[in-house]
Amino acid sequence: MKTNYLLTGLTAAALIFASCEADDTAEIVINNTDNSVTNNNGGSTPEEPSTGEAIDLEGTKTSDLTLDINNTYTLTGPLVMAPNTKLTIPAGMTIKAASGANVYIAISQDAVIDAQGTATRPIVLTSASTSPAAGDWGGLILLGRAPINSTAGGSATSTSEIGGLPYGGSDVSDFSGVIRYVRVEYSGGAADGQSENNGFSFYGVGNGTTVDHIQAFEGKDDGVEFFGGTVNASYVSVVNAQDDSVDWTEGYSGTLSNVYIKHGVSHDKAIEADGFNTDIGNNSNPLYFSAPTVNNLLIIGQGNTTDTEAVRLRAGTQGEFNNVIIQGYEEAFDLDGDSGDSPTGQGVVDGLLFVDTVNFEDISVKMKNDTGFTFTENDFITNEGDATGTDYDTWKAGWTVE
Amino acid sequence: MRQFYLLLIGIIFSTSVWAQGTGSVVGVLSDKEVNNEPLPFATVQIKNTTKGTTTDFDGLYEIANVEAGTYTLVFSFVGYETVEIPNVVVEAGKVTTVNTGLGATAAALDEVVITTTVSRESEVALLLEQKKAVSIQQSIGADELARKGVSDAAAAIAKISGVSKQSGGTGNVYVRGLGDRYLNTTYNGLTLPSNDIEKKNMDLDLFPSDIIQNVAVSKAYSTKFYGDFAASNIDVISKDYKGKGFLDIQLGSSINSRAIGKNFVRSEGTGYFGFYNRYDNNPFAVILSHPVDPVNGGEPININGSISGGKSFEMGEGGRLSLFATASFANDYEYRRGSAADFTTVEKQVYDDVEEFEYSTTTTAMLNAIYSLSSGHKITFNSLFLNSSSDEVGNFGIDGNGRNRDAILNTDKGFFTKNIQFNQDMIFVNQLSGLHTFDDKLELTWGVGYNKVFSNQPDRKRFALENYDRALDNDPDTNPSFYNNTNFDNQRYFQSIEDEELNSRLNLEYTVSDNFKLNFGYNGRSKERFFKNIRYGYDLIEPNTPVTDINNLDSVFNVPNLGSVYDTFVFRSIAPELGIDNRNFPGLDENKYTGNLDIHAGYVNAEITTGKWLFVPGFRVESFNQSISYDVINLPPDASGYAESYENFYLPSLNVRYALNDDSNLRFSFSKTVSFPEFKEVAPFVYEDVTKRVGGNPDLLNDPAVSDVYNLDLKYEWFFGKSELLSIAGFAKEIRNPVNLVIANDATGTRRYFRTGEKANVYGIEVEVRKNLVQDANDNAVVSAGVNGTYMHTKQDLRSSNGLFSSTLDRDDELQGASPFLINADISYSPTSFENYRPVANLVYSYFADRIDALGSGQLGNIVEKGYGTLDFVWRNEIGENWEVNASAKNLLDPDIEYVREGTSFGDYTTSIYRRGINAGISVKYKF
Repeated sequence: MKTNYLLTGLTAAALIFASCEADDTAEIVINNTDNSVTNNNGGSTPEEPSTGEAIDLEGTKTSDLTLDINNTYTLTGPLVMAPNTKLTIPAGMTIKAASGANVYIAISQDAVIDAQGTATRPIVLTSASTSPAAGDWGGLILLGRAPINSTAGGSATSTSEIGGLPYGGSDVSDFSGVIRYVRVEYSGGAADGQSENNGFSFYGVGNGTTVDHIQAFEGKDDGVEFFGGTVNASYVSVVNAQDDSVDWTEGYSGTLSNVYIKHGVSHDKAIEADGFNTDIGNNSNPLYFSAPTVNNLLIIGQGNTTDTEAVRLRAGTQGEFNNVIIQGYEEAFDLDGDSGDSPTGQGVVDGLLFVDTVNFEDISVKMKNDTGFTFTENDFITNEGDATGTDYDTWKAGWTVE
Repeated sequence: MRQFYLLLIGIIFSTSVWAQGTGSVVGVLSDKEVNNEPLPFATVQIKNTTKGTTTDFDGLYEIANVEAGTYTLVFSFVGYETVEIPNVVVEAGKVTTVNTGLGATAAALDEVVITTTVSRESEVALLLEQKKAVSIQQSIGADELARKGVSDAAAAIAKISGVSKQSGGTGNVYVRGLGDRYLNTTYNGLTLPSNDIEKKNMDLDLFPSDIIQNVAVSKAYSTKFYGDFAASNIDVISKDYKGKGFLDIQLGSSINSRAIGKNFVRSEGTGYFGFYNRYDNNPFAVILSHPVDPVNGGEPININGSISGGKSFEMGEGGRLSLFATASFANDYEYRRGSAADFTTVEKQVYDDVEEFEYSTTTTAMLNAIYSLSSGHKITFNSLFLNSSSDEVGNFGIDGNGRNRDAILNTDKGFFTKNIQFNQDMIFVNQLSGLHTFDDKLELTWGVGYNKVFSNQPDRKRFALENYDRALDNDPDTNPSFYNNTNFDNQRYFQSIEDEELNSRLNLEYTVSDNFKLNFGYNGRSKERFFKNIRYGYDLIEPNTPVTDINNLDSVFNVPNLGSVYDTFVFRSIAPELGIDNRNFPGLDENKYTGNLDIHAGYVNAEITTGKWLFVPGFRVESFNQSISYDVINLPPDASGYAESYENFYLPSLNVRYALNDDSNLRFSFSKTVSFPEFKEVAPFVYEDVTKRVGGNPDLLNDPAVSDVYNLDLKYEWFFGKSELLSIAGFAKEIRNPVNLVIANDATGTRRYFRTGEKANVYGIEVEVRKNLVQDANDNAVVSAGVNGTYMHTKQDLRSSNGLFSSTLDRDDELQGASPFLINADISYSPTSFENYRPVANLVYSYFADRIDALGSGQLGNIVEKGYGTLDFVWRNEIGENWEVNASAKNLLDPDIEYVREGTSFGDYTTSIYRRGINAGISVKYKF
């Protein structure tokens, strides 16, 4: 009971009643005498000797920021590039992030990232922890002005799951910069009870942006997620994402080429695809749904056991999958929808959602139709057995981990 | 003392009339319906002469310049028995005192004189007050509350026309379709705090009728109210007592048809009386020290008891101390079985079979002390303590058929959520107020109040399981497992709110003449809210950790398993620089905010009577300063953490009454008022419920920071007989830049507050009739009935907003919370033919039509609360002087309480449906 109860008139009544209830709660004492073991902030643990300075990165930057390869950068909080700024990260740089979902890099609408690594000198964004684990920090977030179907279009924006930053618009070819040979590790921390970071989050990013050779490794949530937008990405690797490896929603319509997905023990779907954001509805006018193209896809599961599922297509998503190999799941494609606002089955019937050239290896159910529409497996899947997937061994060399 | 006072008046008058050889008659008229308290505004006439007067506010009258002689005095009052007192001798130069009482029943001459002020418990007296009121106001008093078996203030005002109460124990009250944010609640004219983060007003369910003398609902604005007024001001007047002394003890018990026989469970660590004693500990210590499973909740038999007593003492020369105290406890077991769903345009989470156990308690204590001096001074101290608790255990998806479209293992069945939640609100209100009259011209009233609220949600536990169907298959080898998508899908949550408010009122009434009165006043309030919460997520280390016994989660979440079976997580680590990170360590508060509200207002109004007209023009100037500073998770990094608004409001009002004749009035009222945002609406903290997320929006404090409101009322009222009334009212309101709760454009669909358009309009008519259907030989009602109905049309333009948050809206719609049609009706049977047995039986019915519970945005339809009717039966029996035996059966129709999402591609989709059960109870009261 707090002492300021004494200010009040009927204190006695409250005290009498409250004292009826037991409180046998123990004290907590934190004995933290051994800092060197648990200190995960890197400051006292010299690793690669560097000639440059040790610099903490966080806050909203209103002018260009160019990182110097000679310096050691630690991401200690949200680093947000404000509109009309540019973040340049040189090849070969590793940025370590302190623990916390509120530790992320965000490129706002009208800001630009220039992160061009090479196969031998990738850019790595990772956890600063000495025993890193999925979800240690946020991730990399790009926000652009390409269309999303969560709003009525025009200049209307939505706000991102992380950080509440605006995204969406009407510029199909919006430019958010160049990302090449970039690996994000141990990201995906929950920012609140419902909002989780991903490895790479593309919010309304336009197809003027270049994205190739990216890897999300050991993420707590999704590996790569597209919230609307038109951006294309190629050579995408997602390894051990605990939620969905690739996720799209809000009317995403880019092209993904050469995608490699490998599930770890803890996982959800390899691809979870929504036609629109079912939390707020499809508000586009005229109405449209996500409809990306996925070329050369290899999905490797943990084996054909109960309740495992590779690709979930729902909420009216459309799209084409060309040259796909799926290994080790009970179900390969699970289609969900209804005859109303989530007409996923309509997409199949209309030839707007299909799989062309596919191999199923260690799969029990190739297609499960929960859309409320009637169609056959052959309406959805053609040319089974001729697929080559993607030649991951060739393009993974040097810059990825597993 | 009053007699002494009268005598003085008499002497003064008698000296002035000596010369004419006349005398005078003075006296006090008491109200037999209300413990013989003074009866104001009654007519006193000397039969067969033109001489007469009316009693004043204190029941006093005097008829001067009466020629010496013997007369018959006639006392009459609308709805009361007329009394004639013969053989009143008036002597020249002398004062004859005639004190008597009037009542609804045949009067015997009675010369009891009591020094009191007016009481407002009687229905008749309240009708009188309504008739005389300078503005449009309706009250319900203790008598009517008792007769209709109303147990609390929320139910009480729901009997008033245009008022409805939301189902499900939310305490939400709508007046003319305008909800919580458009209402104000005061207690003895001073602000009452809210007990709930989600509310601006106190949950009136918490006010048991033991405390209430009457509840007045003012639907038209007058300058004494705070400018933040759009629908009504609800003033709860506490009971007081001025008689010789009494003591009542009441005990009762009831059962609920759906709760009886169920094996109740409630949170571990909470008490039968609704208290919890671990607030002083760090939440991390609580979660390590205490288990998660609910415990036995006892037999679901409700009990209630109260004790009330009062005594009045003479103190010193002309002084009197009157004490009234009451304390009560009541508990309630409710069992709800139904379904719940989060449906947008698709099924997000669906539970076809949900059971919820709720154990709630209300404890109250109130002390009222009045010290009055016959010289016209009165000081009142009132202290109120309320404790309310609610202990809920909800099992969502007990049939194994729960569905979550984001489930990992199976999206078609087996999703299960368990929510164990205890809320405790403690409210302390202390008030000191005074009334001082200086000669006939000046009356000063003042009050200061200090309020403190502790509203806590300690240690809410929430667990999510997948494949729950495997717990039901009787195969010990197949088990459900924890759903563990984020670190917080299984969690314990702690939230606390502390409100503190100092407020005051001051009014000086200056009676210039019989026809002209002026009021000058000041109101001030200074309120501060501290909010904080923290939550600990349980992250299961192994994927798909099995759950062998849903009723024994303690076997998982115990201390030895910390770090091996599960880790705990917080959002903000306590000292990351020392290596104390967010895993398996205590954390810092997750969200915090501090809100401040300061209001100072001055006003003036006049009461001008010319013939049959009464004009009350008024003007109020109010200075408003509101600020919020917040530190919450997951905001844009450049969000300032602070928002403030300072404004001055100039609020004119005009109330007009035209007395068509003695029994009927025509009233007109126009005012400009404002509506400003609440703390919860501006603090961007997001509360995460099982199926929805609600957060504030600091943009509401940007220009415009307030909504201007224009109110227009027109009312006809006819008091046509004893306790009989007919009234018809029309009203119109326009709210500029209204605030609504809508789903924001964000990736998780959080509901937030936005200024959604240019204006909202409300138009409506209200009709109320109270009529005696059968009367006995003395014109007392044996069967009487009352009905009131409201028809409303509401419309607002909804437009998209862009700011820190954005929303997609483009349509016109009804106002949230506005039922187009409301009706309340009651019929009462009270035979008067028994000597020592006075029974009253009442049947009370209420109905509201479908209303919007939450506005849909973009493609989403509205969530609509389906209309339903309720029927209560209450039977009171007074036996002799000391005993009262009451029986009641409430919620007899046991209607479906249903919410639907409208306009989906499949029509209306039921998002929640359940029934509350019939409550049958009996209570016994003994008066010493």
